[in-house]
Amino acid sequence: MSANPETTLSTALPPPILDRGLLGWAHANLFSSRFNAALSILSAALLGAVAWFSLRWVIQDSDWTLIATLSGRLIIGPYNTEQACPGQDCFWRPQVSLLMVTTLLGMAWVAAGGGLTKRIAIGVTAVLAAFSLLPNGLEEMGMDVRLLLVANIPALALGWALARYTPLGTVRWIAILAVCTFAATLLLLGGREGVPGLQPVSVIHWGGLMLNLLLAVAGIALSFPIGIALALGRRSDLPVVKLLCVVFIEVFRGVPLITLLFMSQVLVPLAFPEDFPLNSLYRAAIVITLFSAAYMAENIRGGLQALHRGQTEAAQSLGLPNWQITLFITLPQAIRNVIPAIVGQFIALFKDTTLVYIIGMQDIVTYSRAFIQGNPEFIPSALELFIFLGLVFWIFTYSMSYISRQIEQNLGVGRR
Amino acid sequence: MAAIPRGLTYKGIPLWRHTQVIHAALQVVSGLVAVSLVAWFFVNIGRAIRDREIPYGFSFLSREYQTPIGQHFLPYESSDTFLYAFGVATTNTIIVSIVGVILATALGIFVGVCRLSGNWIVSRAALAYIEFFRNVPLLVQLFFWFYIVLALPPVREGHVISDLIYVNNSGISVPWLQAATIGGGLLYFALAAAAVFAGVAVHRAMIRRETTTGRSSYPLFLGISTTVVIGVACWLGMTAAAGQAPFSISIPEPQGTFGRPVGGFTASGGLLALLAGLVIYTSSFIAEIVRAGIQSVGRGQNEAARSLGLPYMNTLRHVTFPQALRVIIPPLISQCLNLTKNSSLAAAIGYSDLTNVAKTMTQTAPAVSIFILIMVAYLAMSLTYSIIGNLYNRRISFS
Amino acid sequence: MDTETEQLSEDIIVCTDLHKWFGSFHVLRGITTSVKRGEKVVILGPSGSGKSTFIRTLNRLEEHQRGTIVVDGIELSNDVRNVDAIRSEVGMVFQQFNLFPHLTVMQNITLAPQKVRKWPRAQAEEVANELLTRVGIPEQAGKYPSELSGGQQQRVAIARALAMQPRIMLFDEPTSALDPEMINEVLDVMRELAHSGMTMLIVSHEIGFAREVADRIMMFDEGIIVEEGTAEEFFTNPKHDRAKEFLSKILS
Repeated sequence: MSANPETTLSTALPPPILDRGLLGWAHANLFSSRFNAALSILSAALLGAVAWFSLRWVIQDSDWTLIATLSGRLIIGPYNTEQACPGQDCFWRPQVSLLMVTTLLGMAWVAAGGGLTKRIAIGVTAVLAAFSLLPNGLEEMGMDVRLLLVANIPALALGWALARYTPLGTVRWIAILAVCTFAATLLLLGGREGVPGLQPVSVIHWGGLMLNLLLAVAGIALSFPIGIALALGRRSDLPVVKLLCVVFIEVFRGVPLITLLFMSQVLVPLAFPEDFPLNSLYRAAIVITLFSAAYMAENIRGGLQALHRGQTEAAQSLGLPNWQITLFITLPQAIRNVIPAIVGQFIALFKDTTLVYIIGMQDIVTYSRAFIQGNPEFIPSALELFIFLGLVFWIFTYSMSYISRQIEQNLGVGRR
Repeated sequence: MAAIPRGLTYKGIPLWRHTQVIHAALQVVSGLVAVSLVAWFFVNIGRAIRDREIPYGFSFLSREYQTPIGQHFLPYESSDTFLYAFGVATTNTIIVSIVGVILATALGIFVGVCRLSGNWIVSRAALAYIEFFRNVPLLVQLFFWFYIVLALPPVREGHVISDLIYVNNSGISVPWLQAATIGGGLLYFALAAAAVFAGVAVHRAMIRRETTTGRSSYPLFLGISTTVVIGVACWLGMTAAAGQAPFSISIPEPQGTFGRPVGGFTASGGLLALLAGLVIYTSSFIAEIVRAGIQSVGRGQNEAARSLGLPYMNTLRHVTFPQALRVIIPPLISQCLNLTKNSSLAAAIGYSDLTNVAKTMTQTAPAVSIFILIMVAYLAMSLTYSIIGNLYNRRISFS
Repeated sequence: MDTETEQLSEDIIVCTDLHKWFGSFHVLRGITTSVKRGEKVVILGPSGSGKSTFIRTLNRLEEHQRGTIVVDGIELSNDVRNVDAIRSEVGMVFQQFNLFPHLTVMQNITLAPQKVRKWPRAQAEEVANELLTRVGIPEQAGKYPSELSGGQQQRVAIARALAMQPRIMLFDEPTSALDPEMINEVLDVMRELAHSGMTMLIVSHEIGFAREVADRIMMFDEGIIVEEGTAEEFFTNPKHDRAKEFLSKILS
């Protein structure tokens, strides 16, 4: 019998120097084998070269004056031009609706109890306020434009106070107010005949990033419930309902969005009386929404299929009626399981708003491209422009996927 | 209390509480609503067509299209019919899709494998690639590549690489095979396909021989040799029979006042930008699919294979990939379908794909009819993809 | 001299001052031991004591960072050829079976002999059939793993490891993932294997099995072997406090 002679157990030692700290990290991640070391050196050299040339291009050869020239028009497109809004300054209208949004963010901050929502609210407001400090100004950016941008800070504070000290600080109220804000934005941007200062602006002049955001917000808000309905319909026991949903989903998924958009422009108006007030903006929004809803339905159906039958059976055995089982048991779990896919679809929808070029709407990409074509002296700056636009979109879409990952973590999906 | 008899019975149950009645009513109502919506839509369109005297019908298809098509893979003249022009445009879309799918899959697998590399730099670089390219709208990326091509020097001052390859702002011209006669070219294609087929058959037979007898049979070497030998023999045979080789190599040469290269194959700027954009954009999605697929194979599988002494490549080939593929293939197919549909953005950068040509056609032909045609064309393409997907799903029926 | 060569050939595994860290966590803190040809060693110890890590270092599923391991005369080092050579001599059975779900039972067993040993398929299948008979499930060859019970899967896993004709078998808690009624069918196979003279290292909590089969018991705690000896000595008269404490917990 050879019991270990020491009566006390051995003490822990630090790992060998090669496996410790920065050196250990480098050893494990960069130089764990001869092949790996060669790969590290090669890829570092390659990336270094790419970084060097890019940096040199950015510093020496690139010319960003086009971005500064466009500046505010990137955000609102032709909205504030003489054609769209003759004899008036209309820049304040989108800015006021922005103030309403920051107010809502302030309320959401309180309702969510801080955390991620708080960081989003403060971040958005800070960025907006910081825009007022830009040196060469948003297009025709007078003092009023700067002031309205800075006003986002008190707007946030107002929202915060409203939610804190009045009974408006509940999710339900915020949702209602959000819908009102959206409607108010549409009214404000559209203007009204005869109201002083609110000269009508035709939707064909709505443009820039504002248009992308409007279409994306409307599309997200509407495609989600429609997608849920389609997903439930496709899983229904009723053959007719199921067939209708399958046909709808497959047709919309089988055809490119721009074909549908183009069709909405040429074909849909034929189905309505000639004086029917269904303008191109609404048509585009409806098509984007339905297209996105078809994809959303498939994502949610995936989540429903992955659910364990036991959940439904347990709910049934408790005597819950079917619609309550769906609403309170299966849907919340299914949606929670496919949050990444759903947010992915939101991101796709936001990116797809650029496709309205096919029907001649002046979103941020189309407007900039048209500007280059109208002013050929800027063609050499096209690369800078599209890199800049890429970054703008990337900031939005990457923030969305970042938020989705945070939500997932907070819900503890996958670690239940 | 007696059990309520099952089956179709209304005894004792009020109609509005009977599940079967409720279900039937729901179906009838939803069916009626849907049918009447669709009917209303088309009846209105029909009425509009009549009242506003909008042209319709398909008689235009046999008319001459009379409009040039920029890049085309099938021979095309402006005097060809609408129907033929539609076929040319569809071919343009199909060719871009096939080339795009192959390149995007290859690039996506490469980036996905890099993402899983144990090497920190490589894996981070792959992550940056994925996160950037899939989060920027394809349209923006297409314009970016389009203006990169435009930024190349004009035709006269373009780069010429050893008098064979011409790179300039209207595209890239490279030497290409030129069939002596179309029939001969097609015949040789068929023969070459047969040679590849024979090579694969030999490869399979040799693998079977190796597994049953255990003797080394060099399957790869023998398979490739078979293909090459048959291919060369057919080439020589056809040359002897027709007095000329089935294909000659056509080299682009600058001609005319602008020095535009003629001959060879010229990929227009639009085509290049479209391919670059589609391939890079789609590959960033495919890379994520590949990563998720490989990660879905449990660590234990790898450990079990390695503990049996299977070398790394064998483990990948026989254990990891077959399992990962089951997870990868279905979303991969849907990405390939997306690529095909996204090729419709070609209209923005002047490549003559199906949507672009159709859009132009609506100016001289009835829009309603053209929409029906492109809907059918796209639905046929997506049906093809789902048939491929279903075939694959049927093949992997285990577990 | 004579005894020394005999000694060398007798020790099939020799570990000297084996250390292993997971990050900064010191899992194995100096293991020095050897296993003789044909010896059956059962390794006990609380969870997190390093016993699984120890047997996983023996076929380099985990890399050790200090010390030496010599298996059947080959030292485990960064040389890929040594690693592959040792892995084909050392069979391993996992807690979670780790059968390949996309291959049939027959393909699971014949894959490695065909690819590594380069046996013809007929020979590999013949050996596989013999092994399936030996583990008591000759009729399941054409099925996929998901169609088998846990006990059957683990017996296939044992057959798969044996098909490579290893000299040493490692068992990493082979019965822990099984339903109680299936434990014995697996232990029976292992018992039969032990009587055939195979060198076996078994991480297990099956005390009855350990008592019956083990030539030696090793007790791990906090990364070292706190006590080792024959089953008889270990269970009736443990020396170390930790061993006494552990025994009282698992025997109660």
